[in-house]
Amino acid sequence: MSLFLIAALPFLGAVFPALLIRAGRNASASAAGLTTLLAFVGLMLHAPAVLRGDVIQAQFDWLPGLGLNANFFLDGLGFLFASLILGIGLLIILYARFYLSREDPMGNFYTYLLLFQGAMVGIVTSDNILLLLIFWELTSLSSFLLIGFWKHLPEGRQGARMALTVTGAGGLAMIGGMLILGNIAGSYDLTVILSSKEAIQASPLYLPALILILIGAFTKSAQFPFHFWLPHAMAAPTPVSAYLHSATMVKAGLFLLARLWPVLAGTPEWFYIVATTGLITMVLGAIIALFKDDLKALLAFSTVSHLGLITMLLGFGTKFAAVAAVFHIINHATFKAALFMSAGIVDHEAHTRDIKRLGGLRHLMPITFAIATVAALSMAGIPPFNGFLSKEMMLEETVHTAWGGSAYLVPGLALIGALFSAAYSFRYIVHVFLGPKRSDYPAKPHDPGVGMWLAPAFLVGLVILIGLFSAKIVGPLVATAAGAVIGGEKLPYYSLKLWHGFTPALYMSIVAVAGGAVLLMLHKPLARMWDNAPRPEAKVIFEALIAALTRLARTITDGLHNGAMPRYAAIMIAFTVALSFYAYQSGTLAAPTRTLQDVGLIPILGWASLLIATGFMVAMHRNRLLALVLIGVVGLVVSMGFNYLSAPDLALTQISVEVVTIILMLLALNFMPKETPIESSAGARLRDISIASVAGLGVGGLIYALMTRDFIGETISGFHLENSYKGGGGTNVVNVILVDFRGFDTFGEIIVLGIAALVIFALTEAVLGTRVRAYLLNRKPDLPQAGDSHPMMMVVATRVMMPLALMVAAYIFFRGHNLPGGGFIAGLIAAIAIIMQYMASGFAWATERQRYPYHAIIGSGVLIAAATGLGSWFSGTPFLTSAFGYIHWAPLEEFEWATAALFDLGVFLAVVGAVLLALESLSRFAWQPGANTDHAMDINPARDDVAKTENEG
Amino acid sequence: MEFFFELIIAAFLVIGGIFGIVGSFGLIKLNDRMSRLHAPTKATTLGVGGVLLASMAHAAFFETYVSIHELMITLFLFLTAPITANFIAKVHIHRHDTPDSLPEPGEDKIWATHKKPENEVIGPQV
Repeated sequence: MSLFLIAALPFLGAVFPALLIRAGRNASASAAGLTTLLAFVGLMLHAPAVLRGDVIQAQFDWLPGLGLNANFFLDGLGFLFASLILGIGLLIILYARFYLSREDPMGNFYTYLLLFQGAMVGIVTSDNILLLLIFWELTSLSSFLLIGFWKHLPEGRQGARMALTVTGAGGLAMIGGMLILGNIAGSYDLTVILSSKEAIQASPLYLPALILILIGAFTKSAQFPFHFWLPHAMAAPTPVSAYLHSATMVKAGLFLLARLWPVLAGTPEWFYIVATTGLITMVLGAIIALFKDDLKALLAFSTVSHLGLITMLLGFGTKFAAVAAVFHIINHATFKAALFMSAGIVDHEAHTRDIKRLGGLRHLMPITFAIATVAALSMAGIPPFNGFLSKEMMLEETVHTAWGGSAYLVPGLALIGALFSAAYSFRYIVHVFLGPKRSDYPAKPHDPGVGMWLAPAFLVGLVILIGLFSAKIVGPLVATAAGAVIGGEKLPYYSLKLWHGFTPALYMSIVAVAGGAVLLMLHKPLARMWDNAPRPEAKVIFEALIAALTRLARTITDGLHNGAMPRYAAIMIAFTVALSFYAYQSGTLAAPTRTLQDVGLIPILGWASLLIATGFMVAMHRNRLLALVLIGVVGLVVSMGFNYLSAPDLALTQISVEVVTIILMLLALNFMPKETPIESSAGARLRDISIASVAGLGVGGLIYALMTRDFIGETISGFHLENSYKGGGGTNVVNVILVDFRGFDTFGEIIVLGIAALVIFALTEAVLGTRVRAYLLNRKPDLPQAGDSHPMMMVVATRVMMPLALMVAAYIFFRGHNLPGGGFIAGLIAAIAIIMQYMASGFAWATERQRYPYHAIIGSGVLIAAATGLGSWFSGTPFLTSAFGYIHWAPLEEFEWATAALFDLGVFLAVVGAVLLALESLSRFAWQPGANTDHAMDINPARDDVAKTENEG
Repeated sequence: MEFFFELIIAAFLVIGGIFGIVGSFGLIKLNDRMSRLHAPTKATTLGVGGVLLASMAHAAFFETYVSIHELMITLFLFLTAPITANFIAKVHIHRHDTPDSLPEPGEDKIWATHKKPENEVIGPQV
């Protein structure tokens, strides 16, 4: 089966459990199980080749420009992890079917689980570190969903958030590290990176890359000081803990360490950072685990400890240690998943996980007892179980490792770790299952059905078999996986067997087991001492840290942008001015290349009008209605300016936009005070005035400098002028740019315009759905209202104007391709023609006569534009290529047709729809049921006449 | 002949100019708002009209084609100017007059601008 398919199967299959839950829980679980089984079988088909030492590859260039290729490869290491993920995943799916209760949404659970599974398989099989990062983040996200599966429990939500924060932050660090690594190696493909060890280790960026990657790996694998999230993630349902927190996700960090071992390991930095962190984590986790009364907390800290052990082994950087690490990954996955499942069974049947309330369960739950005992003994490192084998190898390796000149530090600490590890393993057996039967269990414990114990029993079977026949069962797998870790070099001598003779490791093992038994006997007084000793509480520290970060973020955000326009504008403008000043200071300004033209009378008049209008604006801006009038004046002068400077298209657009904008602002003004109150102090105003003056003068200077100089390079205008008629079939260059040269931009813009109008509509709907509606209905106008709001003259004039205006719009539209005009301007004019009806005859009257919803007009515009663009595909040309030609029909003069006109029709419709939808939405705020008029005109002589004749008649 | 045409065009221009000045002067000179409303009407009708007629004559006599753009402009002016004036007058009545301060509205009960719910009762009864 292709690697693509194996990686994709869980994602594809994730749909089914959520859908099939309607057909029952068995159907849902079977769908998840079958998907996993299929992927597992597909993986196993590759087993012979991988065990031979082949590397299976599947390649697909996804975004080659970014170096992101969807390349997958499967070597021994990837195969080991993928089989753990899929194999244990299968067992977990079986277990969860019987673990979850009726109230739990099982469909969601399996969907999340499969998403997680797919992400994990993706991590271990990707051959591109960018792709790996994507899957890495996906595991963080999907594990968030799984940890927080019991949404109603605050611990679940907090634990999920903590896990996401820690692993997500680590993931961010890792992105940085991976990018550096890829940059050094010159490729983001793992196979290339793995073969450039010298270049990477010689690079000055080796240490930063190493640290960043290690932060990612350590957070994921719960290494000290990031270990605290794992115990809190135990709020998850037990199947999640057994899957994510023993066998798979927490091992992703280890996988990464192992994957990059060939290029990163072997340096002192690697040894001191990785091995030391692993050692500390191992000892610390083991000590804390002994004093945890919650079964799952005990297992969580024991997992932390064992992950530390593996990290330490990988940190040693020797080949033998790598073999031991790989072997322990297998062993830990088997016994720890079984232990978690047995803890889940106890919790499920006894309704408590508190060790203090348990004991004597061996009589009540013999099967669970057997499973838990074997698994715990394996964890303690008791022969003949598999835990013993790898722990022996670990101890053996520590004896040969010196830390900073001391030969005893590492073995000594490792011995302490092993000792506590044995102690908590024994405690798990003794305090839960042995001892006298109690009478005060929260529920009556008994062994569960076969569905629940089958999965852990299978794993325990593996624990025993691997222990007894390790070389036969896992020997080839360990060999190929370890071979992949150490980069295909020759494996050192090792033997997977129980009896190695009287070695230092054996003595250490004996000491650890005996010491562990002694520690357990002393547990009561020790626990009292532990409880009385002051300890830092990770959750409190974490929450304080997060709260501090939140405060910091809020302070910065509020300082920059507290919702007050003046502050926001002041900061923005002052910053821009400072930046521009810096650019002016550090750049060079060439001498002017253009001479100033003579100023005619008309420009002076326009300039004077602008100055007068803006001057009045400064003086009178507190009167908002007057301000609108002045804005209108400025807009008109600008339009005339465009016209004077031979830009009729711009002038037409400007003037129609001006009209629409002023109407929009008038609508808004309806709901606002007509005067702006003085709110800021004189000092603040002085400050704002100076900022504004400096910025204004700066912009003026910039424009003056620009206009007195020619552009350095050739502008694109030449190309446009040259090709407008030849390529676009139009002599109006502006229109040809809009519908042809930059047609794709225009297409995007009309979509944006449509979305903006829809958002205004949605906001209006949302606001009118709240109490605001009642407020608006009861609103008393702040100024006295005049009668006769729809005067006859106005109504009649607008009715006369409407066909005229629409005809002008059509005229502007059709001439657009060759003369000033086009769909955009025509759309604005048509919109104004209709707005006039709203204004003159009233909202209710106009709405009644509006037959086509504006949403549909926007949509049809966008669709027409898109269809026109797609049409060019039929002639084998790129999207939006325009075609044109000339037609001669007998009585008419020869005229041109162009597909660009169809595109322009789309623009036209989108503009009409968007403008009208926005204005209609805003008007609805003012609409009151009482304001519904029966007649368009308040006073209509015709009506009076009819009434008179009726009365008389 | 050419002189004659020029004379006509010049006459239109002068008429237009004079009414433009009269309109503007009236806007400054006249005392109250309602009177002032009269002044610009001279500028928009006869003032602009004169210039438009001159333009049409120029096109017809010297450029030998019939220009009807000016007619369109006239049409729009005739449509918009009265409505603007109507609104200005209405605003003035709304702001500065009460039903009592206005002359009798003839056969209607009340002037349209004052025709609102709260005035229906106190309005002069016919």
